[in-house]
This record gives sequence, structure tokens and C-alpha cells, in this order.
Amino acid sequence: MEMLVQFLSNTGYYLADYRHILMLVVGSIFLYLGTAKRYEPLLLIPIGFGVIVGNVPFFKGFGLGVYEQGSVLNYLYFGVRTGLYPSIVFLGLGAMTDFSSLLAKPRLMLLGAAAQMGIYFTLISALALGFLPKEAASIAIIGGADGPTSIFLTAKLAPHLIGPVAIAAYSYMALIPVIQPPIMRLLTTKEERRIRMTEPTREVTRKERLIFPIVGVVLCCFLAPASIPLLGTFFFGNFLKECGVTNRLAQTARTAIIDTATIFLGFEVGASTQGDVFLTAKSIGIFFLGAVAFSIATGSGVIFAKIMNFFTKEKINPLLGAAGVSAVPGSAREVHLMGLKADPSNYLLMHAMACNSSGVIGSAICAGILWSFMV
Amino acid sequence: MYGFEAISMHNGWAMALAGALIVFSGLVILSTVISQLYKVLDFFEDRINRYKAKRSPSANQDLSNQPESKSDMEKRFLDDLDGVIDKYKVASEPLGDTFALADLYRLAREMDAPHPHLTISYLKQHNFLFPMGDGIFSWHQ
Repeated sequence: MEMLVQFLSNTGYYLADYRHILMLVVGSIFLYLGTAKRYEPLLLIPIGFGVIVGNVPFFKGFGLGVYEQGSVLNYLYFGVRTGLYPSIVFLGLGAMTDFSSLLAKPRLMLLGAAAQMGIYFTLISALALGFLPKEAASIAIIGGADGPTSIFLTAKLAPHLIGPVAIAAYSYMALIPVIQPPIMRLLTTKEERRIRMTEPTREVTRKERLIFPIVGVVLCCFLAPASIPLLGTFFFGNFLKECGVTNRLAQTARTAIIDTATIFLGFEVGASTQGDVFLTAKSIGIFFLGAVAFSIATGSGVIFAKIMNFFTKEKINPLLGAAGVSAVPGSAREVHLMGLKADPSNYLLMHAMACNSSGVIGSAICAGILWSFMV
Repeated sequence: MYGFEAISMHNGWAMALAGALIVFSGLVILSTVISQLYKVLDFFEDRINRYKAKRSPSANQDLSNQPESKSDMEKRFLDDLDGVIDKYKVASEPLGDTFALADLYRLAREMDAPHPHLTISYLKQHNFLFPMGDGIFSWHQ
């Protein structure tokens, strides 16, 4: 009888409190959004299921939890803690990215830079709200709208915030169709949304596509060496794709490798959100600041595009500024759809992808810069 | 500590300003370099071709392999417009009657068609590709 009572007192049913229940609901919402609404399913489903698994209450000391030494989840968490998974994700991302549209219109890269302003605004806001500098930098990077970059920087600067920062970053990436369109509508007129981008007048050569990753890695990593783990693998993956003699490697990088890393990254980030460590006032602050960061990033890209139009003869559709955040390809798709609503024959996708890929580079540079500032 | 006091205490203003300037200057430099990249490549290719031509008369033939001018390219394209359309129609058959331009572009790349982006743009602008809405196209009958 005593054994039975002891067993029952070790079950999840006995140990559960309201925080676990709340997080189980959050995990279920993620699964619903990913499955039924198809909002970023590749991210939300691993995270959502991880949240559920991570919030099954257990008796501490069994070596089960993600924070307990020697547990399976803890071993897998190594890739998050050290920034290994984000680097691998960037390798696959590089092997997927086609820079042709960016190489054909390099000035669109400036929109990728402008959209990073949300990061620095949020840095100041987080400091003003009482966060420590390393925590503030980790929260600010959410403005880059890049999950792996956010996790990478937070793992380096404020590992105790990985859960809330990752969940906030991925939530806002998934909620792009909800967050970005009102901001784009608010900041642009219908006439501006109808602006047609001119087609590139020349074909980008293979040599250009081949040299770009080398030039990119040298220029960006010399400027912010702390971004090597992200941009080094990103441009390496792109070189594998473009060189034409390593198709097998590029194929593996953009399929099996990135998929494996995404599964473990999402699942482990979800599992790290144990209710008792996750549900704090700080987490709520992080969610609030993350929304601010993401909105300002979108807005600053759009406004910068409008400013560029004052100085250039060839007008830019300001919607493209919203694609300067590095949520690939969600924000590019949203820009394209909004452009189509204003003019059903205006196709902005290729141009938006150019801004999107420069946003990836920009946010990785920002992560490197912030890391350097905090060392 | 909160508010402006906290920002100043942790050097927040300087970090934000310097960070924004660094990322901007980095991407401006990168965009400037890549905007000039094709000119540099053309310059070196031209030099190499001239050098080869000087070294051996047979290499003179290489000069004819230089990238053709835009007007030549357009003329050649228009001369063979029907052929190009047929080629693209055959390539798009696996996609069905309606398809996204991105899929057509991918197929054109796979079959090594010259200048697929410009070609598809031309076909779209001249209504050979008919928009069905939501980014879906079909061939104009």
C-alpha cells in the first residue's frame, strides 16, 4: 500500500500545478496553429510538442528534465545551449538561398539593414524596463525575426532566457500574417503599394553567384567576427549550392541536415519552457518587448523604403521594407500578397526575397555586434 | 534601476547608435561591392580574352564567345520567339494547365534555358502568360 501511495505521489497527476496546465494549453495552441492554421508548421509543431513534453511534471532527481544533468533531453539541449543547432540551421538556410535577385538589385540590401533598427530600439527599451544589458541584448535580437539567431545570441549572453526568447521569436515569426499587414497598411498609401519594381536588366552570372558567398563572409565576418558561427556556415552552405560540384552536399545540407537540426532545436526549445521556470514576470516582459521589436523592425523597413524613394529615380515599392526582417520566407510572402491585393498583376515576390535574404545577413551581423558589445 | 537612468548607466544610447551604424555600414559596403562585382568580372574577362587573342591566333575565336550585347540578345530572342514559347510550353506540361511562375522558372533553369528570368518577364508582359489570379498563370490560348 505504501508503495502504491509513493508511486501515485510521483505521478504527473499528483505533481501538476496550474503552471504546467497553462503551458500544456500553450503547447496545444501551438500545435493547433501549426496543424490547422498552417502557421509555420515546421517550427510550431516541434516547439508545441516540446512544450507539452517539457511540461509533464516529474519527480526532480530522476534525471528526466531538460535542466537535469545526464538526462536525454539535457544531452539534446547541448545543441541549443552551445548555439550548435542555429549554426547548422544557417548552413541549410545558405544551401537553400538563391541570391540572384539580390545580386541583380543590390540596393535592396539597404532595406535589410533598415529593418534591423527594431533591434536597437528594443535594446534601449529593455534597458529602460530594468533588464540587465546581456538580457536586453538577447531580447532585442527578437526584432530580427530570426529564431535561430535569437537562440544563438541568448545562449551566449543570457542562457536562462532561452525559453521565453525562443518562444517569443518563433511565435512572432508564425504570426507574421497577423502582425505585418496592419503595419504595412498603416504606413503606405494604396498608390505606393501599387508601385511596380523594374525587372533586372541583366542576367546574374554564375561567377557572381559563386563569388558572392566569399565576398560576403569576408566583409561581414571581418566587420563582426562574432557572427562567424552563423554567417560562416550560412555562406558556406550557399557556396556548396552555387559551386555546382558539391550538389550532394548542398542537397543534404538543405534537406536532411537542416531538418534534423530544426526538429531538435524546436523540440528542445519547447521542452525548455517548464512552467516553473518559464512563467515569470520577465517572460511576460520579453513577450511584450518582442512584439514591439518585431513591429518596429517592420515599420522601420517600410519607412526607410519611402525615404529612399525621395532620393532615387527608380522607385521602390515601400512594402518591400517589411521583408527586410529575416523571417524567410514568411515576410516576403506577406509583402507579395499585400502587393497583389493592391494590384493583382504586381509580383513582388522575387524582390521581397532579396530583402529577406539581406535581412538574414543583417540580423546575424547584429547578433555578432551585440555579442561583441557585451563581452 | 529603470528609465533613462538605466539606459545611460549601461551605455545603451552608445550601443544602439554604434550598432545601427555598424550594421548599416556593413550592408552598404557589401551592396556596393556586389553592385560593382559584375563590372570587375567583365573587365577581367575582357583582359583575359585579349591576352589569349594576342598569344594565339586560334584564340581569336574566343572573342566571339564574349557576352552578347542586350540588343543582340533581344534580336536573337525575338527571331526565335515561337521556338522559345514552344520550348517553355513543353517544359511546363508536367505542371498542368495552370502553374506558378516560380515553378516555370525552376523548370527553365533545370533545362538550362538562356536568360529564364528575362524570358518569363517578356512572356508575362506580352500576355503569352495569362494571369489567373493569386500568382497562378496559364498559357494564353
